[in-house]
Amino acid sequence: MAGSALRRLMAEYKQLTLNPPEGILAGPINEENFFEWEALITGPEGTCFEGGIFPAKLIFPPDYPLSPPKMQFICEMFHPNIYADGRVCISILHAPGDDPMGYESSAERWSPVQSVEKILLSVVSMLAEPNDESGANVDAAKMWREDREQFNKIAERLVRRTLGLPPP
Amino acid sequence: MKAVLATVISLALTTVVIGNAYYQKKQFYPSIVYLTNSNPSMAVMYLQAFILVLLVGKLLRKIFFGQLRPAEFEHLIERSWYAITETCLAFTVFRDDFNPKFIALFTLLLFLKAFHWLAEDRVDYMERSPVIGWIFHVRILTLLMLLAQADTYFIHHAYQFTASKGPSVQLVFGFEYSILIIMIVNILIKYILHAIDSRWEAPWESKAAVLLYTELAINFLKVLLYIGFVAVMVRIYTLPLFAFRPMYETMRSFKKAYNDVVLSRRAIRNMNTLYPDATPVELAAADNECIICREEMHSGAKKLPCNHIFHAACLRLWFQRQQTCPTCRLNVLRAPAPEPAAAPQPAAGVGGAPAAAPAPPAAHPAAHPAPPTGPPQGTTVPPPFPNMPPPPPIMAWGVPPPPPPRPASLAHLTVAELQRLEGTERRNIEARLQLLREIQAMLDASVLLMQQYSSVVNNLPINNASIGTQTDVSEKREGRQVKTEPDVVPTTSTHKQPSPAPSTSNATNEDEVYPDSSTSESNLNSQRDKTDANAEELRRRRLQKFTIEK
Repeated sequence: MAGSALRRLMAEYKQLTLNPPEGILAGPINEENFFEWEALITGPEGTCFEGGIFPAKLIFPPDYPLSPPKMQFICEMFHPNIYADGRVCISILHAPGDDPMGYESSAERWSPVQSVEKILLSVVSMLAEPNDESGANVDAAKMWREDREQFNKIAERLVRRTLGLPPP
Repeated sequence: MKAVLATVISLALTTVVIGNAYYQKKQFYPSIVYLTNSNPSMAVMYLQAFILVLLVGKLLRKIFFGQLRPAEFEHLIERSWYAITETCLAFTVFRDDFNPKFIALFTLLLFLKAFHWLAEDRVDYMERSPVIGWIFHVRILTLLMLLAQADTYFIHHAYQFTASKGPSVQLVFGFEYSILIIMIVNILIKYILHAIDSRWEAPWESKAAVLLYTELAINFLKVLLYIGFVAVMVRIYTLPLFAFRPMYETMRSFKKAYNDVVLSRRAIRNMNTLYPDATPVELAAADNECIICREEMHSGAKKLPCNHIFHAACLRLWFQRQQTCPTCRLNVLRAPAPEPAAAPQPAAGVGGAPAAAPAPPAAHPAAHPAPPTGPPQGTTVPPPFPNMPPPPPIMAWGVPPPPPPRPASLAHLTVAELQRLEGTERRNIEARLQLLREIQAMLDASVLLMQQYSSVVNNLPINNASIGTQTDVSEKREGRQVKTEPDVVPTTSTHKQPSPAPSTSNATNEDEVYPDSSTSESNLNSQRDKTDANAEELRRRRLQKFTIEK
């Protein structure tokens, strides 16, 4: 079993290196363990996260691609769909059985057709358009809805921090 | 740091208390008596004992698990909270024999439970950790042995005690330790499976199936135990509230395991018997790549009813989790049996495709409730249209559903296939026409009714008509008379503000509630609703007039 997961991860890695999608960089942290990846995601243009480079960790289960990987940002994030500890809460990362927020239809869930690339693209679009219905971070969801200016300010601070710049 | 502080404080307190006792009584025996009789000293001793238990727990954890991963720790804390609450609930049942020994036994139970949970988590983690050293095996096996021994000892003890002295709190312990020993068996089986799997170079395809069946059997045993326990407790004591949450969870997971086994068996059987092997031409059309493992397909590929092609082995593994097509999420158990040729299955389960208007296949029967057809405030609702399809469910946010598969070109199809294609299409159109005709008839009828009504109103004396148009009792009470159809009763001095008819506004609201992806259908709906509203309004007024005249 682990063999097929490994082969598929290798295939995806190859694919990602040959045709890298714009603004996304991903690969195993070390080549001996293909089940832990690091990804760098650039904040989508025209949003409050523009310009930031956000590092994240992807942990793959042994039965990948039958089960989804877990994704966690390893920098500080403030976003309605990202938990305080950096874990990403989007529906395609949830196996069809479990439903942490109790509202997702199984059509949006994980299936083996998904891939690292699709996950990362979904995360980019999640950064651009938060879904404040499912509050992984309720404070962020509230602020996003009610005080967009403050939210943008925090986002800008985070962006500067990921670039190693002092806060404005 | 906090732990060290707590340890030091409790140690200091204990020393002070014991020192004090000894200082006062000077002798060993009297000081013990003094200690046990003084409540504050006993409190300090209990605290010390608690801290000691925690320390021992930490030590054992270090020995058997090393550093806990954050997820394990979180899991442990969460489960501990549940267990502690339930233990407190259990106390209430056995408040009569509440004594230090009793508390000690419960603490020990919690302590052992915690190690069972940790062992379970650790063995689950085995599957995804890349390297497993021999120390891991030694640790896990020793721990499992020790735990199993402790469990059997306590079960035996509980049995002896109950047999000799009648039912007591030992019943609960016996039961709890039986659950724990089942858990040990489960962990052991999983451990063995994972260990075998990690030794083999080749992928072991039946492992998932074995795990599934183990799950089923273990859960069945647990459910039996819980039911037996609750029955015994109800007979002897009272309802064991503290066992309900775990019992419910066990039953739910048993049901899930059962469903998984049944559904996956059915799906796999379908795959083996019904679905055709993919031909080389079809394989070439799909780029020869299995989307599950991203590897080339040469042989052993199966074609699902939705025409998607995968490795049979990959499909089997996926069906053990989900019985859907990985690409289009067609539910393979609900989909009709595949035709030998590539006939398109219009929208069978593909996320609410609105194309198939009349009689959509029963792919998601529970997904959309039938909308209320008439205005809600009416008492005599006209019969709903029998062949009006329910509106398609609101489009899922996010991933758009893939379009239903279509044949590449009509020229490749045989005559029979063309006929079948045409057959469904013609049926659809005929059904639509039928629907439109019905709507037209309804509209005609309502126009007729309106004409009749206006002629009747014109012939009536004026005061009668004004009473006849009072629609709402509550509005009458407020003293404000509402006229619903301003053009029908043109000259009444008492009515000033013509307000829109309530039922029509209701109808438009309804259209907003059920937004529709296909505009034609939403038009039909709104027309139908309006007609209904008109007819309904008429009927109600007639009824009112009738009662007034009587």
